[in-house]
Amino acid sequence: MGPLIGGGLISFFTGGPFPGSYVVAFLVGCFFVYMGIAKKWEPLLLVPIGFSMIVVNLFPPLFHAQLYIESPTEGTVMAVNVHPAKGEVLEIEKEQLLLEIREPDGGIVEVRAPTGGELAKEDLLVKVGDQVHPHDRLLKLEKVSILQSGAEGTELFSRIFQGGILTEIIPLLIFLGLGALTDFGPLLANPKTLILGAAAQFGVYFVFFMALICGFDIKEACSIGIIGGADGPTTVYLTAKLAPHLLAATAPAAYSYMAMVPLIQPPVIRALTSKKERAIYMKPQLREVSVRERILFPLIAAVVIIWLVPRAAPLIGCLMFGNLLRECGVTERLSKTAGEAFMDILTLLLGMSIGGSMTAENFLRPQTVMVFALGIVAFAAATAFGVLIAKLMNLFSKEPINPMIGAAGVSAVPMSARVVQMMGQKANPRNFLLMHAMGPNVAGVIGTMVAAGTFLRLVG
Amino acid sequence: MVDWALATKIAGAGFGTVFLVLIILAIVVWGVSRLIQSLGRGKEGQAQQPGGR
Repeated sequence: MGPLIGGGLISFFTGGPFPGSYVVAFLVGCFFVYMGIAKKWEPLLLVPIGFSMIVVNLFPPLFHAQLYIESPTEGTVMAVNVHPAKGEVLEIEKEQLLLEIREPDGGIVEVRAPTGGELAKEDLLVKVGDQVHPHDRLLKLEKVSILQSGAEGTELFSRIFQGGILTEIIPLLIFLGLGALTDFGPLLANPKTLILGAAAQFGVYFVFFMALICGFDIKEACSIGIIGGADGPTTVYLTAKLAPHLLAATAPAAYSYMAMVPLIQPPVIRALTSKKERAIYMKPQLREVSVRERILFPLIAAVVIIWLVPRAAPLIGCLMFGNLLRECGVTERLSKTAGEAFMDILTLLLGMSIGGSMTAENFLRPQTVMVFALGIVAFAAATAFGVLIAKLMNLFSKEPINPMIGAAGVSAVPMSARVVQMMGQKANPRNFLLMHAMGPNVAGVIGTMVAAGTFLRLVG
Repeated sequence: MVDWALATKIAGAGFGTVFLVLIILAIVVWGVSRLIQSLGRGKEGQAQQPGGR
C-alpha cells in the first residue's frame, strides 16, 4: 500500500525501490524546502516542489492513476485468468494474461495487461459468459503509472500532473506570464546580443551528446540537454513531449540549477577571462527604445520565429502574446493579471505537480543522479561558450564588449545578468553591466525556445 | 544502440538553426529600429519647419 503513517509506518522505512527509499525522498523534499526558505533558492518553486514531495512520499497514492482495460473485440468472455478474493489485491505484471474472449467466428482473443498494477475483486467488471463489445470496460487496474497511455489520474497530484503537465498547458501558460514580465528593451537597444543568446545554447547540444554517451536514448537526451538552456518551463514542456518519465528528474534539475547560477557561473567566467577583460568598461546607458519598437517586437519575433521554426509556435506564441499585453499600453489589466496572479497560480500548480510526481519510485533512480550531473555540465558549457563567443565578437566589434555578458546568454532571467553585474563591478567599480547583460539574458529565453522547437521538429 | 548520424544531424541542424534564426531576428529588429528612428526623425524635422506640425 505504501508508507502510510499509521497504516504502514514500517513500509515508510522498508518499502519503495530500496529499503528506506521513501525516507530518502522525504528528506530530499525537506532539503528543497530548507533551501527555498533559508537560502532563498528559487523559493517560489522549491518550496511547493519540496513540500509536495514530502506529502507524496508520506502517502504515495496521491500520485496514483487507474487504467480501464477495454475489450478489443466483440464476443463472449471465455476465461478470466485473474481471481482476486474479496478484500485481496493482486499484483498484476505487464503482459500478464487477464482474459480470453471468444469471437463469433470462433477465434480466441487474449487480453493482456499493458502495464503493471493492482487488481481487486471489485475491479473485475465482467465474468465468464458475459457478452462484450469493442471498447466495453473489462477490468480496472489500480496504481498504474500516470504516463501509461489511457491512464486516468485519480488523486490530487496525479490529476494536476495529467491536466497541467502532460497536456503541456501549465508550462506554456507560464510563458504568457513571463512575457508580461519581460522587458525586451535591452535586447532591442542592442540586437547583436541575440547572437550571445544563441551561443549559450551550445550547452544544450553538448549535453545532448553527453547524455547519449551515458546511455540515454535520443528523446531523453534532448530533454536532458535542454536543461542547459536554464529555462524551467521549456524544460518541462519539452520533457513532457519527448520523455515524460524523466520529468521527475529534469524539472527539479533545471529549477535548482537556475537557483545555483551564482555558484556555477563565476568559476567558469573567471577561468575563461583575464582580469583585464572582466574590467572592460561599457557605457551604462543603452539607447532609448521607442514605444513603437516595443510594440512591434513581439509581433515581429513571433512571425519570424514561427515562420522559421513552426514547432516553437506554442512557446514563442505565448511569450510574445504576454509581452504584447505588456507593451501595447491598452491591456494593462490583462498584463498585470498575466504577470502576477495568473503566474502565481500556474507556479503553484507547476510546483505541486512536479513535486507530487517525485515519489521514491520516480525520483530515486540512477537516471536522476545522471540527469543532475549532466545538468550542471550543461550550465557550465552554456556559460563557457557564451563567454567565448563574446570574446570572438570583440575581435570584430568597434566598441569592445565585456565578454562576461556572454555568460548571461543562459536564460536564467535575471540571475545570470545579476551575476555578470556583480562580477563586473568587482573587476571595475565604474562598470554597470546589468542592462548590457539583460540583452543576452532575454535572448537566451528565445534561443532556448528555438532549440526546443528544433528538437521537436527533428525527433518529436 | 545510438544512431550517431541522426544525433549529429540533430545537434548540427539544431545549433545551426538556433544561430540562424536569432541572427535573422537580430537583423530584422535592427532594420525595423532604424526605419522607425528615421521615420521619427523625419516627423521631428517636419515639426521644426515653419507651419509644420
